[in-house]
Parts: sequence; structure tokens; C-alpha cells
Amino acid sequence: MGSNQTVQGRLNQPGASSHKNRNRILTAVTLVIFVVFLFLADQGIILDSYGVRIIRLCGVYTIAALSMTLINGLTGQFSLGQAGFMAIGAYTTSLLIIPPEVKEQMYYVTPIQGWVRDMQAPFLAAILIGGLLAALIAFLIGFPVLRLRGDYLAIATLGFSEIIRVIITNVGSVTNSSIGIKSIPDTANIWWTTIAAALCITLVYRLMKTSYGRAFKSIRDDEVAAEAMGISLFKHKMLSFVISGFLAGLSGGLLASVVGVINPLYFRFTLAYEILLIVVLGGQGSITGTLVSACLITAGKEWLRFLDSGFSIGPITIPEISGLRMLVFSALLMVVILFYRRGLFGSNEFSWDGLFRLIQRTGARCKRLIRRGEKGGAAK
Amino acid sequence: MKRMVSILLSLLLLIAMAGCSTGDTANNGGSTNNGGTSDDGGSSGGDSDAIKIGIFQPLTGASAAGGEYETRGIELAHSLYPEVLGRPVELVKVDNKSDVVEAATAAARLVESEQVDVVLGSWGSSLSMAGADAFEESQTPAITISATSPNVTLGNEYYFRVCFMEDFQGAALATYAAQELGATKAAIIYEITNDTCVGVRASLVETFESLGGEMVGEASFSVGDQDFNSQIMAVMAGEPEVIFIPGNYTEAALCISQARALGYDTSFMGTDIIDVPAFLEVGGSDVNGTVTSTFFDPAAPTTDVGEEFMEAYSSTYDDSPSALSALGFDAYLAAIRAIEAAGTTDGPAVKDALYALEMDGATGALRFDDNGDAIKNQVVLKVAQDGEYVYYDTVEVNLE
Repeated sequence: MGSNQTVQGRLNQPGASSHKNRNRILTAVTLVIFVVFLFLADQGIILDSYGVRIIRLCGVYTIAALSMTLINGLTGQFSLGQAGFMAIGAYTTSLLIIPPEVKEQMYYVTPIQGWVRDMQAPFLAAILIGGLLAALIAFLIGFPVLRLRGDYLAIATLGFSEIIRVIITNVGSVTNSSIGIKSIPDTANIWWTTIAAALCITLVYRLMKTSYGRAFKSIRDDEVAAEAMGISLFKHKMLSFVISGFLAGLSGGLLASVVGVINPLYFRFTLAYEILLIVVLGGQGSITGTLVSACLITAGKEWLRFLDSGFSIGPITIPEISGLRMLVFSALLMVVILFYRRGLFGSNEFSWDGLFRLIQRTGARCKRLIRRGEKGGAAK
Repeated sequence: MKRMVSILLSLLLLIAMAGCSTGDTANNGGSTNNGGTSDDGGSSGGDSDAIKIGIFQPLTGASAAGGEYETRGIELAHSLYPEVLGRPVELVKVDNKSDVVEAATAAARLVESEQVDVVLGSWGSSLSMAGADAFEESQTPAITISATSPNVTLGNEYYFRVCFMEDFQGAALATYAAQELGATKAAIIYEITNDTCVGVRASLVETFESLGGEMVGEASFSVGDQDFNSQIMAVMAGEPEVIFIPGNYTEAALCISQARALGYDTSFMGTDIIDVPAFLEVGGSDVNGTVTSTFFDPAAPTTDVGEEFMEAYSSTYDDSPSALSALGFDAYLAAIRAIEAAGTTDGPAVKDALYALEMDGATGALRFDDNGDAIKNQVVLKVAQDGEYVYYDTVEVNLE
């Protein structure tokens, strides 16, 4: 996904045109394999619903991380407000798609307000409204906070995200307070999340090719120079912040439908850190890096679950230790960051040419190592 | 190469540290298994004919203590009753990390990948609810141990609960304050970030007012708050005779200490959340006289099963058992008895057997109503006295 366009980024290099057809074919083949895989997974042939759920979460986290990549990595504005925008999207979507009688039953402490009970929308409209509402709030918050820079901006957005959460906790007749919302229809299946993620990736990718996108990047690289070139800093920062808010709201709505239960506690600032982790691991400023890292982190945490239940490596038996999974996971992340200081992709995008070069380089390096090893052995 | 070596070394160190810090728990688990049969048969494989019971708990994260206490109860019951229908029972632990998204995934893992027959857990209402859909879809009966929100079992015929509900607890506290203590004016300071406390507050206020009392003050706080002077001043203006404080133990203890420092000696009443040693440690002598309502009193078990539980607990652990462990014990027993009565591990049959079940548990008689909620009519009250909780009274409440 997304790779078919990224190819163009390398076209100006010598010999690239001869690879053009090969790359197109590779992209087409990958896409077909991916769609067939999704189809088989959806039919329950190669994955059970546990596996499908992980793939759905991968899509949701890709969109959430993409929202942070756009504002942090591509526009250079260190914002940590994603959790609040996701909360807005999640609550709006859930309240729009739960049937009125179910809602009424759920609000057993503070009676639900009439208009909240009666509002209804189809799923597609609901997630879009969730995203738009988050974008609107981002627009309003943007006026004061986007005048700040760097760490101050991070603190201000984090603060606003907490304010959103506290408001949600206290407006019981609309949001059911800290009891949270349950029985959210499970509409966001594997197609919904994957197609939404693909569309969002395309949107951000296309956006970065426009003059707006280039303006974002110039603001990231040097604000003063960008302003000197006649770029309106505030206008472009605001645009990036609002689109980022929309994406976060959208991912929140999808998340609510995938998980089925939401409560204010989930949208604490720790959620923003989790998304930040995805962005940093993937490489700040890389869209494909975000996608790869979102899937790696979501699936990796689940895959490592076997560590929690005790296992044996040869003669050594490791007893049941709950939490070992997260420890190993953190250690692995540290190793990755040690080797790839700018994240897996840095600020580059995936391309077939890049992949082949990587394979060639690794092959050459291995050969050299082996040769050196042989020499060393001979010298001894 | 040097870098590789240093990374490997630091990795080893990390793993070793993990081993040390959790060694205590691992040892406990080991001794429990030895007490039972030796069927732990390795890590993931296990016997093909084993009956699998899933433990769906927060074993790490903010609520890990709650998950740990409940798991202790389940493991004790497993060591005493390791077999049913002539087949060994295997416990499958899945950590939900005190996080709803992880909980939903963990629940799917239990019913899909591990194919468990019954699920026990989770601590916390929202974590339990995150698993509810997966359990209902796969027709796997689940028994929650201490989730007190009505929403957990509401509209889900596969979810059961062994503890009382929050509205019951609120009603019990209000009834006791109004009828036994003769209070006519009361105030409440509750934790708004906790779903259970919000629920307790609603039923508490309603019951107290229906018994002729008057609520003269109300204030709320969030988890993590440190300063409670404004809340205390706000509710004290109405001169309450008793203050209810449904909230987390650290905050409750701090609030009571600050009220004492301001010179107020009004008595406080809390819920089962403050029935933990940490409350007494934080509050010190300031919390003397604070009454808490809870599920179980280790000093006076009311049934034979309760005595059996106490015996098993004190032979394995050094501390006094938490009510959560007793409830975990009951949840396991209920699952075993229902499978026995059904004669099969088929989900719908076990579910029907649970509805028909009548048994004695460690916390008293246990029976489920049409919603899958335990029918309870007793709340134990304990009072804090010089660093420990002593039995105070038992309240019987009959909700219509």
C-alpha cells in the first residue's frame, strides 16, 4: 500500500526507468496477495477472530499514528493531543451507532439526555462526523496552542487532551461519566479498518506532494526560512493540526467499534505516548515507516504473549512471569532504536528499489564478513 | 562487535532482574501447583482432554494488585479441586494489562486460540465489559469476580458475577448509617474517575434520602489528587454527622487525614476499595474509626468452604486474605460445580447449569439470578483500628 506512488520518488536516479515495469508488477502482485490474504482472513480460513482482531487494530493504530506523523514528523510541531481527539471521535461514533434503547439502559446513574439518546447515523457517517468534530475541536484549540513552539506546544496539547478527558468524565448525561460506553456495534470489520487506513495513507501521501505539503516540510526544517519565503506559518500549522485531529478522531471511532467498550480512562496521556512510540520507531516523517511500525508494535505485543505463560529454551525452563512480555518488548524496542537511531525508515519512504539495494548491501556485507572470518581463521 | 556484546549483556541483565523482582510470585505459583496434582504438563501444550479455565485478569499495569489477589483465590481453589468429570483442570492465564483494548484482544485470545471452557475475571468493570462480546459470541460462560457495575452482566446471558453489585453496596452503607447510627445529615465525597464509585454514590444518595435522611454536601475528586481541603470545607459547611467516601484507598486516606488536620472528627464510611492494608498505612492513626463495607471477613468465615479457604490460604501465603481472593475461590468453585452438574463442557449447557446452581462458597451461599448476578443479602462492615481492620457488624439489605 502506498508503495506504488513512492516509487516515483526514486525515479530521478540512473537506471530507475528500467526498473519501472518491474516495480509496477511487484506492487500489483503484492496488492493482489494482500487482498487475497484479507479475504481469506475475513472468511476465517487462515486466521481465527483473534488474528483478525489484531489486523483490525493494526489498521486503527496506523491511522492514529499517521495523524501524529503528519503533525510531528512532517510539519515538525511536537503535539501530544492525539488521545483527546481520539476520545472525541470514539464517543461521537459510539453514541451515533448504538441503538437508542441500548443507550438508555446503559446510563443507569445519570439519565441520558434526549438528544443524545435519539441521535443516530450509519457507520460511515458516524466515523466521519467523529473525525470532523475532532477536527473542529482541533481548530478551536489551535488558535491558542499553535502560537507555541517545541516543548511548550507539547505540554499545551497534552493539557488540552487531558481537559477533553476530564470534561468527558464529568458530563455524565452525555458520556455516561467514568462508567463508559459498552455494546458498541462491531461494524468495523477487517475491510473497514484496512480500507480506511489505505485511504488515509493515500490522503497524507498526496497531501505531502502538494504545495501545502512542501510548505509543511519547510516549516519543519526551518520556520524562519519558511516565513521568509512567504509561507504563512500559522495557516499551515493550523491546516496540519486540523487534518491530524480529523485522522485521530477517525481512528478513535474505528477503535471504539473494534473494541466494543470505551471509557475516559483509556484516553489518558499514556495513549499519546503509545502512539508516539509507533511514530518514533517507524521514523519521524515517514508514512510507510508509520504503517510498518504500527503493525509491528500491535502484532508484536500479542505475539510475545507466549513469554508470559512460562516456556523452555532447551534445558532452561522459564517459569510463569506475568509482564515478561512487556519487558522483552521494551528491550527489543531499545535494541531497534540503538541500531536505527532515526527509526526504522528515518524520513525515507519504502520503495522497491530501496528494498533491492538493501538486500544487495546486506548480501555484500555478509560476504565481506565471511571472507574476513576466513582470513582470521587462516591467520591463526 | 563490541556494541553487540554490550547489548546482549544488558539484555541478560534485564531478564535476570525480571526474574528477581517477580521471583516471589513465581514461587507461590509453584507451591500451589505442588499442592495439587502434577498436571501442569508444560507450558502451552497441556493435556488434550484437560478442561481449560481461563484467568482473564490485569496481571500488570495499574490494577495488577487486584488481579493478583483474585488469581491467588482461583489458584488455591484449583489446588484443592484440580479435577472435574474425571479430567484434569488446566488454568490458562492471560494478562489484560489493565487496558480495555488489550482486554478485548486478550478475551478473543482466550476463547479463540486457547479455546477455554470457562473464563474467570476480570478485576474491574470496564475490563470485564471489554471481553463480554467475545464471550457471548463464542458461547463461553464467564464469571466476573469483583466487577460491581450492573452493565457487565446486563444483556449478556453468558456473563455471571459472584460479588454484590455497587447499588447494593451503596444501599447497605446508607441503610446502616440511617438506621443503626441514626444519622440524619450526611455528606459524600466520591471519586468521579471510578465507575464503581459513581454507581455507589447514586444508590447511596437515593437510599439515604428515602430513609428520611438529608444529604447536606457533595464533592468529588479524581484519582491522583493530593489536596482535599476544598472538598472538605465544602461538605463540612452542612455539618454532616457522617461522610461517605467511596473512592480509591490512597486518596480516601489522604482526605481523611486532611479533615482531621483541619480539626473535624466526623466519622467516615468507605467501600470495599479501602479494604486494603495500604489504606491503613497511608492514613495511620487518622483513619481510626473509619468504617468500610466489604464482601468477606477472614476473622469470621460463615461456611465450611470459608474455613477450607482460610486454611489453604494461610498455609500458602503469610498475609491476611483479601476479600478478592475469597471471591476468586468462589468463582472457580462455581465453574467446577456447574461443569459437574452439566456433565459436559459445552458452553450453553454450562451456562444453564450456572443459572440453576446453588452452592456454599467462601463468602456465603451463592446463587445467580436471571441476570447472572449473585443473589446476596449481606454486607460485612469492618472498622479501622490502630493499623488493622476489625469486624464491626453485618448488614442485611433486601433490595426489591
